[in-house]
Amino acid sequence: MRLAAMFSAVALASFALIGFAAHELLARDLARHQQELVEDRIEDLSYMLVRGRSTDLMDRVHEKIAALTGDGRTQYWLWSEDPAWRYGTDARHMAEVTRASRGVLLMTAGTGAEQLAVAGRDIAATAVHPPLRLVAGVDTASIDQIFRDFEIWLLPAILCGALLIAALSYRVAGVGLRPVAQLSAEARRIGPDTRDQRLTMSALPQELAEFGSSFNSALDRLDAAYTQLESFNADVAHELRTPLANLIGQTQVTLARERSAPELREVLQSNLEELERLRTIVSDMLFLARAERGERVSRGVEASLAREIGKTVEFFGVLLEEAGMEVDVEGDARATVETSLFHRAVTNLLQNAIQHAPRGARITARIEGTEDGAAISVSNPSEPVPPEHLPRLFDRFYRVDASRPNSDASHGLGLAIVKAIAAMHGGRVFAHSQSGVTTVGFTLGRGGNGGAVS
Amino acid sequence: MKVLIIEDERKTADYLQQGLTEQGCSVDVAHDGIDGQHLAVHHDHDVIVLDAMLPGLNGFELLRSLRAVKNTPVIMLTARDGVEDRVRGLREGADDYLIKPFSFVELFARLQALTRRGRRQEATLLRVGPLHLDLNARRALREGQRIDLTAKEFALLELLARRQGEILSKTTIAELVWDMHFDSTTNVVEVAIKRLRAKIDAPFAAPLLHTIRGMGYVLEERAGT
Repeated sequence: MRLAAMFSAVALASFALIGFAAHELLARDLARHQQELVEDRIEDLSYMLVRGRSTDLMDRVHEKIAALTGDGRTQYWLWSEDPAWRYGTDARHMAEVTRASRGVLLMTAGTGAEQLAVAGRDIAATAVHPPLRLVAGVDTASIDQIFRDFEIWLLPAILCGALLIAALSYRVAGVGLRPVAQLSAEARRIGPDTRDQRLTMSALPQELAEFGSSFNSALDRLDAAYTQLESFNADVAHELRTPLANLIGQTQVTLARERSAPELREVLQSNLEELERLRTIVSDMLFLARAERGERVSRGVEASLAREIGKTVEFFGVLLEEAGMEVDVEGDARATVETSLFHRAVTNLLQNAIQHAPRGARITARIEGTEDGAAISVSNPSEPVPPEHLPRLFDRFYRVDASRPNSDASHGLGLAIVKAIAAMHGGRVFAHSQSGVTTVGFTLGRGGNGGAVS
Repeated sequence: MKVLIIEDERKTADYLQQGLTEQGCSVDVAHDGIDGQHLAVHHDHDVIVLDAMLPGLNGFELLRSLRAVKNTPVIMLTARDGVEDRVRGLREGADDYLIKPFSFVELFARLQALTRRGRRQEATLLRVGPLHLDLNARRALREGQRIDLTAKEFALLELLARRQGEILSKTTIAELVWDMHFDSTTNVVEVAIKRLRAKIDAPFAAPLLHTIRGMGYVLEERAGT
């Protein structure tokens, strides 16, 4: 419908343009025709006046005029100083008017009230007559009629044409857009339960093929996210199930018998520890959800990253000492960060490094200024991580070694939180593992000037 | 400390009331926004615990109307972890906020911090039973014996001694000693406490530094232990 309306608007505009041009052309043609007609009439008589030598020339002129004006459409005037050589009412006026203007003149004059096209010509004195002014006028009524007829028909013709085009284009658009209607019918059928369905590409005309394939790949991406979400829900349920089962079981066992106060306290304390773990998981999940919603840091301050990492390393002081490890901080850059989140990300990276490095290892925390922010990475000697695991390290609850027990220190969200914090700072995460060194890190996007210091 | 709890969730309100009463607070409770507003405006409290989602009048509206008349410190409890709620709460004049699920120890620590604000006495000598701390000289003595502590160990001990008898959660300790403002899953605090205990308690008969399982740590002299 919209397409048809657009087509007819275009048609209307072009018809109007063509009509206008035709109108102008016709007007010009008719004007020229009029001029020729008047000039012919003048020529008809002036020949006689120029060549005529007989003494009764004026009588013959009268006869000729009578013959020429027989159609009732032509009129003549003749003016001269000599009253014998005058013809027509108001001849003097006509002579003066035509002399004053060149070419054909449109005026109301003479016997009728019709519009006349008038022109005049001077005729030099001859042996038989003095200098004369010959004026001829031709009735324009017929020409005007042609013109009016054209105008009357032009507008309806344009409108009819536009309507015709509207009707045709509606049909044509319908036929041309049939694949689109088909696509939308197919798209309607895709839902959460039919996620594997895709648009049929084979029947698509070329101009729609690109749209179809981008739509399909958008569906692929959504499908992947959906699948991840589903498995994520399963993961969460799994993570929560164990502590919940412990809590329920232990409470039931305790309540099944009379217990002394110290025994009850012992159970409550143990329960509290489980509950704290649950609380941490829920809080972290909520935090990840915040980042997933696209939340960005709101209280960023510009800081020296080496200084902030230094504070985090200091926090780890006792743990590093216990593990006989040391952390070297290399480089520095300034960037806009929310310090508590930045500390948290670095803490998780260091924790990850300490967990996977052998006793007595040296850990390197490296800061590099980049074009649009900074990159922070933590490297530690470790068993090589198989390349297929690297990109998935940042997935929630992902463990390289699936059999590794769930330790108190890590519930499998540490690196996912690093990824969330990077995203909240407009950055991303990266990981590589080669020649016995595993490096995990993240970037900070533009927020401050982020220039490197060294 | 006189506390007003405005919380519609009965179980939450009940345990908060019990817990705070047992900590020596006098507690008023309101279960909806209208009652809460009435109590908050017409009675004087040292601090108000305000749930954001309330029937009748929500927490933000209540806070706005309260701030028009008085400046009682308010700690908001929000169920949603959205930045909007936090920003909105702080903008409307909340002094602090906690995101559910929160721990009671954490809440109590924050309440104390809010009411302590502005009237902290700056002692330079602290004493917990046989333990003496000289804050100027950064020296710790127990039963006349000098105890060698690192700077961080001293800071940790100073915090515990300043707030002796009060349970400090790992999060609070990480925040006040290391300036790490987030819920850490590391065992840094546990290890640090273990090392501190080895220095101040191990060589002596009666322990001063106690672990409250699932909650945190407290420094106090206990009779008969």
